[in-house]
Formats: sequence, C-alpha cells, structure tokens
Amino acid sequence: MSDAAKPLLRPAAVLVPLLVLCALPLYLESYWLRIGLFSMAAAIGAVGLTLLSGTAGQLSMGHSFFLAVGAYGYVYFSGDPGPGLPPVIAMVLAVLLAGAAGGVFSPVAGRVKGMYLGIATLALVFIGHHLMLTMDGVTGGFNGRSVPPMEIGGLVLDAGQDDLTVLGVPFGAEERLWYFGLALLAFTWFTARGLLRGRPGRALVALRDSETAASVMGVPVARYRSSAFVVSSMYAGLAGVLLALSFRRVVPDYFGLVLSIDYLAMIVIGGLGSVAGAVAGAFFVTALPLVMAKYADQLPLVAAPGSPDGSLGPTEASRYLYGAAIVVILLWAPDGLSGLARRLRPRSRPQPSAPPPDTGLAEPVSTSAVPVATVKEHTP
Amino acid sequence: MNATPRAHRRATRITAAAALSALLLAGCSTKAEDDKGKEGAGGIKGGPGVTDTTIRIGSLTDLTGPYATLGESITNAQKMWADDVNAKGGICDRKIEITVKDHGYDVQKAVAAYSEVASDSVALSQVIGSPVVAALLDDIQKDQILTYPQAWSASLLGIDPVQVTGTTYDVDMIAGVDFLTRAKGIGKGDKVGHVYFEGDYGANALEGSKWAAAKAGLEIVEQKIKPTDQDLSAQVAALQKAKVKAVLISAGPVQTASLVGVAASRGLKVPVVSNIPGYSPQLMASEAAPALEGMLNMISAAPAVNADIPGVKEMVEKYQKAYPKAPVDTGVLSGYNTALLLGLALEKACDNGSLAREDVVKAHRQLTDADTGLGTPQNFGNVKRPAAVENYVLKPSKDALGGAEIVEEARVAPGVEDYLKEKGRA
Repeated sequence: MSDAAKPLLRPAAVLVPLLVLCALPLYLESYWLRIGLFSMAAAIGAVGLTLLSGTAGQLSMGHSFFLAVGAYGYVYFSGDPGPGLPPVIAMVLAVLLAGAAGGVFSPVAGRVKGMYLGIATLALVFIGHHLMLTMDGVTGGFNGRSVPPMEIGGLVLDAGQDDLTVLGVPFGAEERLWYFGLALLAFTWFTARGLLRGRPGRALVALRDSETAASVMGVPVARYRSSAFVVSSMYAGLAGVLLALSFRRVVPDYFGLVLSIDYLAMIVIGGLGSVAGAVAGAFFVTALPLVMAKYADQLPLVAAPGSPDGSLGPTEASRYLYGAAIVVILLWAPDGLSGLARRLRPRSRPQPSAPPPDTGLAEPVSTSAVPVATVKEHTP
Repeated sequence: MNATPRAHRRATRITAAAALSALLLAGCSTKAEDDKGKEGAGGIKGGPGVTDTTIRIGSLTDLTGPYATLGESITNAQKMWADDVNAKGGICDRKIEITVKDHGYDVQKAVAAYSEVASDSVALSQVIGSPVVAALLDDIQKDQILTYPQAWSASLLGIDPVQVTGTTYDVDMIAGVDFLTRAKGIGKGDKVGHVYFEGDYGANALEGSKWAAAKAGLEIVEQKIKPTDQDLSAQVAALQKAKVKAVLISAGPVQTASLVGVAASRGLKVPVVSNIPGYSPQLMASEAAPALEGMLNMISAAPAVNADIPGVKEMVEKYQKAYPKAPVDTGVLSGYNTALLLGLALEKACDNGSLAREDVVKAHRQLTDADTGLGTPQNFGNVKRPAAVENYVLKPSKDALGGAEIVEEARVAPGVEDYLKEKGRA
C-alpha cells in the first residue's frame, strides 16, 4: 500500500500531534491524565480485539479475561507475594502469560466460530472472575492487590519517589505514566498496522471472507485462527498492564462481562478491523461518559445531587447523551468512526485510480489473493 | 491515497495551527503553582480542600446503579447536615461544601471521580460499593484522606484514614447466632444455614457465624451465592434437606425476600436472621411481606428509624420536611450519623489548629467516645477494632416508618470480646 511511505512525506503531520500529546501533562490536571491513561489502555486492548473480531471475524466475549491476566500477571510477577521481578520484565512476562492463556484456549478458538465462539469465550469471564476471587495468594481476593509502580532505567513512574519537575510542573504518577502509555500505544499502533498490512493480515481477511477459498489458496485455517487469538490476547495483556498501572490497585469486580461488551462497543463504534478506528472507539467509549458526567451538571434542567425534587441527575443526563451519540454515529456512519473519516477524506483529494481502504475492511477476495499467494509460495 | 502538494500544505497549516493553540494554552497553565501547607484564617493550617471560607468534602456515591436508593438517602441526609451546619456558621468559621460524584457502581468511573474530587477535598463523607472502596484503598492511604466507606467488612479495619462506622459484618453475625440461641430456642447440635454473597461481605459474615456457631455447638450449613442470583429455590431446597433449624443470610434485599418467600411456601418455617444490608423497606411492598414479618430479624448497629431516641426523632422530622417525597430508611440514618461524626472530627482538628488532611485523620482517631445521639457511641481510638460492638435486633414492620422496628435494644453479644481478641482486633 502506498501508505507505507506517506509518513516520510509528511513529517509535520505526525510530529506536531505527537508534540501536542507530549505537552499535555504540562497543562492537564491529574483527573484528565487519568482518563487519558484509561483510554490509552483501552485503545491497546481494542486494537487487539479488532484484530480478532474485526479482521479475523472471530467474536470474542472473553476480552476482559485476558486484560485481567495481563493486569494480575504484572502485579504477581513484580510484587510480593510473587517473584518480585523488575517491572519491565514483569510486564513482558505478563504479556506472554496472556498470550499463553490465549494459546491454551486456542484449540477451542481454532474449531468453533462466530456466535458459538462468542458463547465459548463467555465462559472465560466467569471462570476468570471466580479464580480472581478464590486464588487469594496470587490475586489478593476480593480486595485485590496494589500495583507495584513501573520502573524504567532507575526512573520510578510513581509520585513521591523523587521531586522531578519539568518546566516548573511537578511530575507525579499520572504525568510520568502518560509518556509510558503513549509509548505503549505507539508500539501497538505500528505493530498492529504492520500485522494487518502484511501477509498475516491478508490471510486473516481471506479467512473471514471465505474459509474455503482461503484454505484452497493455502492458508492454514486452524493455525491462523488460533494465532489470531494468541496475538489478540497479548495485546489485551499489554492493555491490562497499563490499566493496572493507572488504577494503582486491581480488583476482580472491574474485569466483568460489562467490560468485554465495552470493548466490543469500542471496535464497532470505531469501525471493525481498523487500528485507527479501534483507538478512536476506545477513546469514545472510555472518555466520553466520564467527561460528560463531569460537565452534565452545567446542562439546563439537570439538578445537583441531593436536591429535594429528585429530578434528572447529572449521570442520567450524561447517559442519555452518550446513548444518543452512539445512535447518531451508527446511523450516520454504519462502518464506524474510521469509515466516516474515510468517506470525508477523498473530498479534498483527487481519487486514486483503485482506492484500497486503509485496512482491507470487507475487501473482496480479489485483493487478498495476491499476498495469500505469496504465503503459499513460502509454505513447503 | 498519495499525498498531493495541496494536501501537504493543508496538513502543514493544520499542524501549525495546532502548535500555536498549544502554545496559547501553555500561557494558561496553572499547574506549576503550589499552595499547600499555608496558614489560613484564624491561624489554622490548611491543606487540600480548605480555604479561608470553605471546607470541601468529597462524596463518591451511587445514584444510578444497584445502590441508587441507598446512595440517594445518604446524599440527601449529608446535604441536609451541611445546610444545617452552614446555617449555624459552619465549622472553624468555614462553610461546608460537599461535592457529590455519582459512579453508578462502576470501578473505573469511581477511580476517575476520585482523582477529580480528592485533590480538592479534606475528607470523603461516603464511598459506596465494596469494589470501589477496594480499588481506592491505596490512593486513600497515600493521600491520607479521611474516608467513611459504606461497607462494613473487617478487612477495612486497620487502615488509618479509613473508618468503618459501627460494627462489622462478623460481629453482627455473632450477635445473630446469639439471638437465635437466646430468643429462638436454637441449641447444641442444631444445624443453622448461612446463605452468603461471594466476596468480602459474605466471607466476613461467615467468619463471625462460624466462630459463634463453634462456641455454641451449632453446625453451619454454608450456601454461597452470587449477587446475580435472584431466585434461591435451590438453596432453600438444600437447606431443607439438611434439616436446618434456622437460617442466617448475608446478601441483598432481593435475596432475603426470595429466601424467606420460598422457604415459607415450602413449609420451611424457621427463624431467619439477616445483616442489615440484606433488608430494605421496599420489601414491605412485595408479596413476601407477610412471610418477612413473620420470620425475619435483622441485626443492626444503628437503631430503627422510628426508634424512640430524641436525636433520631429530630433528624427524621427535619428530613421529612426537607425531602417530603423521599423515603426515610436506614440510609438516611447512617448517612446523617456519618456526617455528624465527620463534623466532630473536623471540629477536633480545628481545635488542634490544623485542617490538613493527615491532621484531620489524627483528630478523628482522638475521638474515643463519639456520641452523635443517634444510637450507640463509637470509639475510633483503636484503628484495628470495630468502632462499636453493640447491636440492635430489628424486625420488618409494614406500618412502621422506615419499614422496621426494634425488637431488642443495643447490647454486646457475649463472646464478641473473645472473638476480637482471637482475631487480633481488640
């Protein structure tokens, strides 16, 4: 795709937003930074899910389980009780652990598909919740465990360790974690796009569109389906680590079924199979309700909590607005935020002769056939 | 999608605009300012949430989730307290302002709301939801912000800035077993069922019931349930098969209603004793009301709302005037009581000369006989020990205000002190 060379042509378009993102901790209160961190973590997890559900077409309701494996894995590996490893190594191990958990489940994922896989993965959420409550020694039971802070090259990403100030702004936990989150998100963004645009992405799309056609062309169906599951779980694990770090304490009740459904909502709102869409959807689903709840009391007709007439409260108002926003997006942009962006873009630009969509979403088999053929050549 | 020169120029312009706006915003940054630990009006040391004219208190509640009724009652009662205090000139010559944030029983929303509120609050007058409290424990400890969780598990004891008011679930269940043996004729060798929620609440209640049962020579038949279980037919059948003579329940109102209703219809007519969170006056409007009135008793650290206690009567009267449409339930009483206790801590801190958060916690721990006139006095001196050990026994009542009335006045169940000593909480 010609996109690959584009960032080099427009360095300003990449650099300046990046600079703005890097400057935000200098101005925003920790409340906003925390919301940003939650959103970044959600974005990483949503990218993982969009690989699986959007690109490979496998419905997963068990995403919150893999998030939990990542979060608790990190806490266990870096903490006490646990081996107390350096945080960076603990993070890598947690991601691998989440991948391994996905691998253990992949025999199921390799055989069951669609709605049936969705129901099968549902079991993971309940098993996971039960384990989190009962394995006290590892998970801390109902009250959870505190999360050891991340430490990179001697710099602890937590408040109260040293008096780091940048341009006169004291850098506490959120400010430091912000950059760490950005780095993880950038890593996710580029690796996931690489995956999607490379051979594996094409193979997965072929698989989703027609399993028979894909297997005729030499895609090892079961192997690709299970490896999609493993990779998706690893992204979820990474998201879990960042979530744990921004929560500072992990509790079992967070990793429930509702969380899994939130992730499905993120990738649907963002546009299935698109990395940028998943990131946008994650910010939409995570940040919007929180921000709306903060400002809802400024709206007309909304009464402050504790007023005697018991009228419309801020949270109810923000829920109505959030619901309306989802309906508007799905009506106006049935292919999600990424589809909306795609449809808005060509107006200012001349149409390329054969427009390949960014991500190969719902591509007919014809475009997929080329890289799939390459896969075949390399398979003895 | 090749980049044309036009698109390129446009992108550059957009980025230039973005950079410019970032620079403009930079001028507005106030983050570099620092204003803690200064001495304010009246020679009182300040801190987050304290100005020369106001004291800000945070409140993380649930107005839209499963505990909406409880959250509304507590929020209303505390707002009423703040209005009262302000009408009398405030505390430490400062007006009380309560910032209420609704998290709808969602951990992530609650954590976000905490970082919004905590940086500008002296204390948290309520935090609803055990998972929410658990997720915030580390932050609360780090910030040393005096917090009153609306949860009564013994696992929350021993944390300096966190104050569980009244008794804990385990102490309640010891009183429950004591009530069964004293008033309901349960004796050595009898089997007693205990239906409890998975998680902190149930686990702590079970700890108490098992200890008391062992002392009284009873056998506990455990039935663990989930908060999502709403029909307890299977549990009742199992208890019936085990031939239990009484049932303890540590769950929610829905589960209590189901348990008692099903048991009554199946002919398992045994006394049922519940922790107070397992009852709500709304149950008196359900079909299970007659069975509940006949079989159920609740163990509570607070008196019934219709109790003949001057402080309670006065508060109820005020509340009905301020919130004529809202029901008067135990949430009102516990919310108001908590606010009064917080008021005592703030006054003490003011006398000590500092409203900084860690000093408010210190002042709170100096309250060894905090009597708000709303039931039994509390002792906050020992952080490991429950603030009170006296329990009332209540029963459901359709006609009583608040849906409950007192059966037995507050008393300490025998064995409670031994229990606390054994667990290292005395």
